[in-house]
Amino acid sequence: MITRRSTFRIATGIASAAVLGSPAAYAADQAVKVGIDLSFTGADAETAARIANGAILAFEDANAAHTVKGVTFELVKYDDATATAGQYDPAQAATNARKMVSDKDYIAAIGPQMSGAGKAMSPILSAGNLATITPSSTNPDITDPKFAAEYRPAGKAIYFRTVATDAYQGPNMANYMAEKLKIKSVYVLDDSGAYGVGLADAFQKQAEAKGVKVLGRDRLDPKAADYSAILTKIKAAAPDALYYGGVGQAGVKLAKQAYEIIPNVIKAGGDGMQSADLLKGAGFPAVQGWYATVASPHVTDDPKTAKFRERYFARFKIYPDDYTVTCYTAAQVIIAAAQKVAATGKPVTRDAVRDAIQNVALPDSMLGPIQFDENGDLKNKIISVFQIQKDDKHPLDDPASQYKYVGVAPMS
Amino acid sequence: MTAVDLFVQQLINGLSLGAMYSLLALGFTLVYGIMELINFSHFNVFMVGCMIAMLTLQAMGLSGQSVILSGAPLVLTLLAGFGVSMVLCGFIGVGIERFLLRPLRDVKGPAAMITTIGVSYVLFNLVLLTLGSDSKNFPNPLPPVVFPIGGAVLRLREVLIWITAAVMMFALNYFTRYTKLGKAMRATAQDPEAARMMGVEVDRVIMISFFIGSALAGASGMIFGLYYNLAKVDIGFAAGLRAFTAAVLGGIGNVPGAMLGGVLIGLIEAMSAQALGSAWSDVVIFSLLVLVLVFRPAGLLGRLAPNKS
Repeated sequence: MITRRSTFRIATGIASAAVLGSPAAYAADQAVKVGIDLSFTGADAETAARIANGAILAFEDANAAHTVKGVTFELVKYDDATATAGQYDPAQAATNARKMVSDKDYIAAIGPQMSGAGKAMSPILSAGNLATITPSSTNPDITDPKFAAEYRPAGKAIYFRTVATDAYQGPNMANYMAEKLKIKSVYVLDDSGAYGVGLADAFQKQAEAKGVKVLGRDRLDPKAADYSAILTKIKAAAPDALYYGGVGQAGVKLAKQAYEIIPNVIKAGGDGMQSADLLKGAGFPAVQGWYATVASPHVTDDPKTAKFRERYFARFKIYPDDYTVTCYTAAQVIIAAAQKVAATGKPVTRDAVRDAIQNVALPDSMLGPIQFDENGDLKNKIISVFQIQKDDKHPLDDPASQYKYVGVAPMS
Repeated sequence: MTAVDLFVQQLINGLSLGAMYSLLALGFTLVYGIMELINFSHFNVFMVGCMIAMLTLQAMGLSGQSVILSGAPLVLTLLAGFGVSMVLCGFIGVGIERFLLRPLRDVKGPAAMITTIGVSYVLFNLVLLTLGSDSKNFPNPLPPVVFPIGGAVLRLREVLIWITAAVMMFALNYFTRYTKLGKAMRATAQDPEAARMMGVEVDRVIMISFFIGSALAGASGMIFGLYYNLAKVDIGFAAGLRAFTAAVLGGIGNVPGAMLGGVLIGLIEAMSAQALGSAWSDVVIFSLLVLVLVFRPAGLLGRLAPNKS
């Protein structure tokens, strides 16, 4: 759990480093602030703490090693969750964005965790030309040039991401199912929510482009209990696979009933089907074999990250997850951008840092090569595919052990 | 699957849904028939019944679908599940009637109906607070026995639902028609004042009808759990609304009407999902309801009651 004290610790660390033993040249270090906006309280608090630790580690390293000559970083925590919302609150996120924008010492930000908060923050950050890098929000609208007037009225991209977006989960999974699973026909369902419909539409379009026959498309009412009629219809259509765009509310019931009615059809969904709720609510054997995707590379099992995992565990006594790594990488991007600005001898301002982030190139981050397009999206978009495979040795409702990483869904 | 198989399968799906709606609709119809009160707390008494049944089965050592029973242990387990959820739900219904509705009995206007909506939310939030909002894996000890009918399949749980629903509906029909207490109920329904003068204990009759209606909701909750292997805090509203529609469609206040309405709605839901897509089910169901009410305002089997006031 990140507390105000850990921010304080970074600050005192900086101070002691400046006083003790550092060369005289650093005594007049420029202290810059980086804001981190996550949902530190409420329903997503645990994930937020795990994510934030990634940034804490990166900035501690940079300050200790004087990575950027003449600059020390101070990471300032902002919580966008409120007690009334019980989770993130867009209004609070907007307030936080205003606070950061109004203080000239802020050169960049990290966050937010949630797309809903991102939509509220993005126009304010745009007006203040303060770049933020989100480690986890995947709604495609925020960086879509179609909605530029809404989310970046000042014109320049200020909302960068170290994750891919939902716009790639559907199509890339269609590629994966056509190429790797060799499906010839598919039936597409959604849960009538914005996320689900968008995901299913994008999947369907790419599946058709790949020559997979779409045998039907239907919509589930997430509040209804019974999907047996629609599943019977699917059974009669006899597709190779079923793709479901949506979240757990309908997903749990779908998984249960699909297991009874169409047990031999390949079943897949997006990151809405990657949850403990699915494992708990539907349970084995119903969920066995379901595919789900995540809009970031799966790196925590990667041998490349083993050292990072150990260091992280030693510092925080918990293990990192994929979004910790995307956050660590976001911090690395900011550090690299500041370094680039400082190297030219110019003052490290937010305008200069934004431009530097836009052109940053980290060839070998833990996530692979990091570069942004003109909208702030990653050039290299990676969608990881997971499959539920029962692992008796671990708790049966623990997503980390029951979802097996099976590879990357190829880009179109 | 041929077209015939498909039709048979959707028929099975629709009848099972319909059986569940019918049982729930009976609770609405029973209370309405006697008090002319639409009891919206019924929605969530059903949900609570499902949770009670789940906790009962779990207390007997069942979890998820991993424990399969057969023979006498299966029958005893199911009877225990039905028994506990029906009795407890019955007492919840009695409690609602005795402490919340009886004081309002002589209040004119919608006060009593609004109270039942309030009670519904209280029950919902109590379960939300104590058991949480996540989907729960309802324990199911039924062996996965399947009877193929051509290309369609009939599962043991469907047979069980039909039998349970049929037995309860016929028992209720017999009870209201031929027993002394049933006659007292119908007398109360027709004219509480006159019934009281003839020596019927009206308060007791109303309490018993609440007990029976809520016990049927408890049984529906158990059936819902066994059919879907699922319990969740929000199941009451969707199922309750369909069941209420079924009661109105069949003629509210009329016991065979509730059965007919429930089965019809179940069948329409399954068939329209097949023919038009599941997004259209609600459109078809509620359009049909509007049409029936335009041409037969009292419902399919209902008779227009003379205005009592």
